[in-house]
Amino acid sequence: MELLKKYPKLFQWLFLLVAFFTLCFAIDVPETYKFIRGQAEFIKDPNQSTYTLFGAEVRYYAFDVFWRLPPLLGWLPIWINDSLFFLMNDWMPIEFWNEDTQEFKTQPLVLQITRNLTSFITFLIELIREILLGGVETIVAFTSWDWISENSWAKLPGLPWTIVAAGAAILGYKLSGKGLALFAAIVMIYISIFGQWKPSMQTLSFILVAAPLSFIFGLGLGIAAFKSKRVEKALYPILLVMQTMPQYAVLVPAIVLFGVGDHAGVIITMVVAVPPMILLTLLGLRGVSPEVIEAGRMSGCNNLQLMFKVLIPTARRDILIGVNQVIMVCFSMAVISAFIGAKGLGFNLLLALNQLNIGLALEAGLCISLIAILLDKLSLAWANKQIDYFGNLTFFQRYKNIIFFSGAILIGIIFAYAGSFYFKEGFNYLYEIPHNKGISTADFWNKGVDWIWDTFFQTLKIFNTWLIVDVLQPMRAAYLRMPIVATFVLVMGAGYIIGGIRSAIVVGGLTLFIALSPWWDRALVTTYMATFGVILSCVIGFTVGTLCFQNKHSTNFMLGVCDIFQTFPSFVYLIPVMMLFGVTDTSVLIAVVVYATIPATRYTIEGLRSVPPSLHDAASMSGVTKIQRLLKIEFPLALPHMMLGLNQTIVFALFMVIIGAFIGTEDLGQYILKAISDKKGAGIGLTLGLCVAFIGLVFDHLIRTWVGQRKKHLGID
Amino acid sequence: MLQNTYLVKLMKISEPVRQFGGLIILTIIVIFSFAILNNIFGEGEELIAKMKKEEERIAETRKQNELISSLPSGILVFYDGTDHYKLSPDQYEKVCKATKIIPQRAIMGANFLNFRAHHIYTINGNKIDETFVKWNKENNKCFAGFTVSGNNVGVDEKITVSGEVLNFLSTGIDTRVYFIKNF
Repeated sequence: MELLKKYPKLFQWLFLLVAFFTLCFAIDVPETYKFIRGQAEFIKDPNQSTYTLFGAEVRYYAFDVFWRLPPLLGWLPIWINDSLFFLMNDWMPIEFWNEDTQEFKTQPLVLQITRNLTSFITFLIELIREILLGGVETIVAFTSWDWISENSWAKLPGLPWTIVAAGAAILGYKLSGKGLALFAAIVMIYISIFGQWKPSMQTLSFILVAAPLSFIFGLGLGIAAFKSKRVEKALYPILLVMQTMPQYAVLVPAIVLFGVGDHAGVIITMVVAVPPMILLTLLGLRGVSPEVIEAGRMSGCNNLQLMFKVLIPTARRDILIGVNQVIMVCFSMAVISAFIGAKGLGFNLLLALNQLNIGLALEAGLCISLIAILLDKLSLAWANKQIDYFGNLTFFQRYKNIIFFSGAILIGIIFAYAGSFYFKEGFNYLYEIPHNKGISTADFWNKGVDWIWDTFFQTLKIFNTWLIVDVLQPMRAAYLRMPIVATFVLVMGAGYIIGGIRSAIVVGGLTLFIALSPWWDRALVTTYMATFGVILSCVIGFTVGTLCFQNKHSTNFMLGVCDIFQTFPSFVYLIPVMMLFGVTDTSVLIAVVVYATIPATRYTIEGLRSVPPSLHDAASMSGVTKIQRLLKIEFPLALPHMMLGLNQTIVFALFMVIIGAFIGTEDLGQYILKAISDKKGAGIGLTLGLCVAFIGLVFDHLIRTWVGQRKKHLGID
Repeated sequence: MLQNTYLVKLMKISEPVRQFGGLIILTIIVIFSFAILNNIFGEGEELIAKMKKEEERIAETRKQNELISSLPSGILVFYDGTDHYKLSPDQYEKVCKATKIIPQRAIMGANFLNFRAHHIYTINGNKIDETFVKWNKENNKCFAGFTVSGNNVGVDEKITVSGEVLNFLSTGIDTRVYFIKNF
């Protein structure tokens, strides 16, 4: 009893593990259980049991409930589909005036709203795209095709690439100085001469619509949440789920509501990008000190003035970090939106990956990454730039960037005009370098891939086989071997030990949702893949982070590397691994490890950095060695921070596992991918997305609760 | 009073022990809940029996498919006197058991000798209710048939036509009844 009192948690964990393994060994695998057969796989078999709920018939293989629960939520996807169908086709028919036919037409309200939204966003995308690349759609929107054919001169000419490059360089200079200006110019020139201008501008136009709209909505909702507790409470669960929801999953309902194309991509990007903006707006506004608010009130501000003249300018930095996050999300969505027809680099990347043309994929991926890094640096520079309210500047000093840009426009137009005379083969290289006329390194990379395969085939094959046969398959089998009752005991027990009965109920509830869905087995496979990635990422991340922390320069270098890697859209990680390991589970898992190592490394460094220097001094004075200091002082104090890194690592790993479905896995992601091409996939996609989000939330809840308690215990809250 | 005493005793238990007790109770509750659910939804033995039967059927079909793929495409007979492929007695039985399809050609041929069946078949839009192919153990022969039903001048009729299968047609993917001798 004394031991129990001395090490209460140790005994609780021991008991939990004993109970878990006892249940695992006590419950046999049913003779009729086969993984692929799993639960309701939507095939008809006379041995399936059925039930009907809310008009939906669900078929499933009934097992001993200790082994697997029946999919009592199997009706949910069908119900979601039916509801969407009802909303889009039957609900609230209203008469609307149709401009084309000049008569009233009865349309369901939601359909009309989505169509109007679609045309508005399409117009915005076309407008920006035509400013950058030229075209007639915008003019047509205000006139007609007949008018355009009569007036062939009437079209937006598009900006020559030289002007856009100069504009980016000037913006870089204004925000951060020569370094960023040079980088911006190099990126733009690279994109142009490598023949990626058109797709890059298509992607940019997509982002230039999605990012500002996400910013406006995010800021608006963030302010609303700041003002009203009720709004905050209503938004909180949505924000929580959206943080861990795979972006793939929201694509499917978007197809149903908005169809396919750039507009649907923009809308879905907004859905994904708004939550971080809301959170950072809320964080920024909450961080404003009461003295500043008081000063604002004393100056006679009304509520509106207080918000826009005092609170938002004071919280400017956090809000602009939110803009940075929005841009990054937009980039990652630029590739994912290609699944539903968004044009640009993402589409090219996807096409190249589909054809297993690694060279082309690499070119497109590099361009996306470069633009992402550029916009990341620009937005961060904007966030960190201090506004000089008191500078007494001359007219030239104040407007020099605008003057330079006007000059660049003029020179760019003259160059493009001159180019039209100089290049007489039909391609004006000073206006736009066409896709097939730029320098291409695709062949070089493809030959590189062939060389790797020729040279290291045996080594790669041995590694691949070893990993799959000796590590992955046993691990997968072990996960699938878990009876559901044992899983519940483990998850709820962990929740109870970490956060008490409340946590146990929360994690139990989230797990129950997954268990009652028809995809429990798939969820187990997803979890096994993510776990494998997380374990390796944490080992690598914690080791690299700890080693780098020993030196100031290596710390800064590693944080810089993490920054750059974090800006790469997740799909880009698949390219090098496919080069090395082809289309296998190994590729997915290595991509998961690389992607998820970033937060593990970053948070380790940040955590070790957060240890107060005074404690280092105190430790040194007590005569501890470097190792003792690391193990006895720095690690225990940095652990809460590192655990938040673990949390991020899990979320990153889950995202990458889901994206890995693109190169063939058998987890939830594969079903989400299937749902994209399924006419009735919206319900399935959304339910699967929730399953993935809930897996993430279970870990998120446990880790956050533990971190909160640990911080309290250490007095660093 | 008694309750109060227990409550006081419970309150006196130290926190670690209480937490440990809580964990044990939670584990028991989870297992107990599953036991209740198992009583409601579990199908256990019954399902295993059903699934085993199904697996046997699948194994049998697989064997039959192997046999079919080993046969040449075209007409298969079990008697002498033709140029068609002649089935051995064993093959004849297996092909009979593997055959499920009676094509319209065979039905029309059998109907030709059964005026009433032909009439009902025609006036009801060439509709067939059900077909069957059975192996007759006593005669060591394969029998096939079909049922036609419908309204014949105000009277509901149902006629079953059956006869010995004289030959089969192998398509390479499956085997079909080629001719039904119903005379």
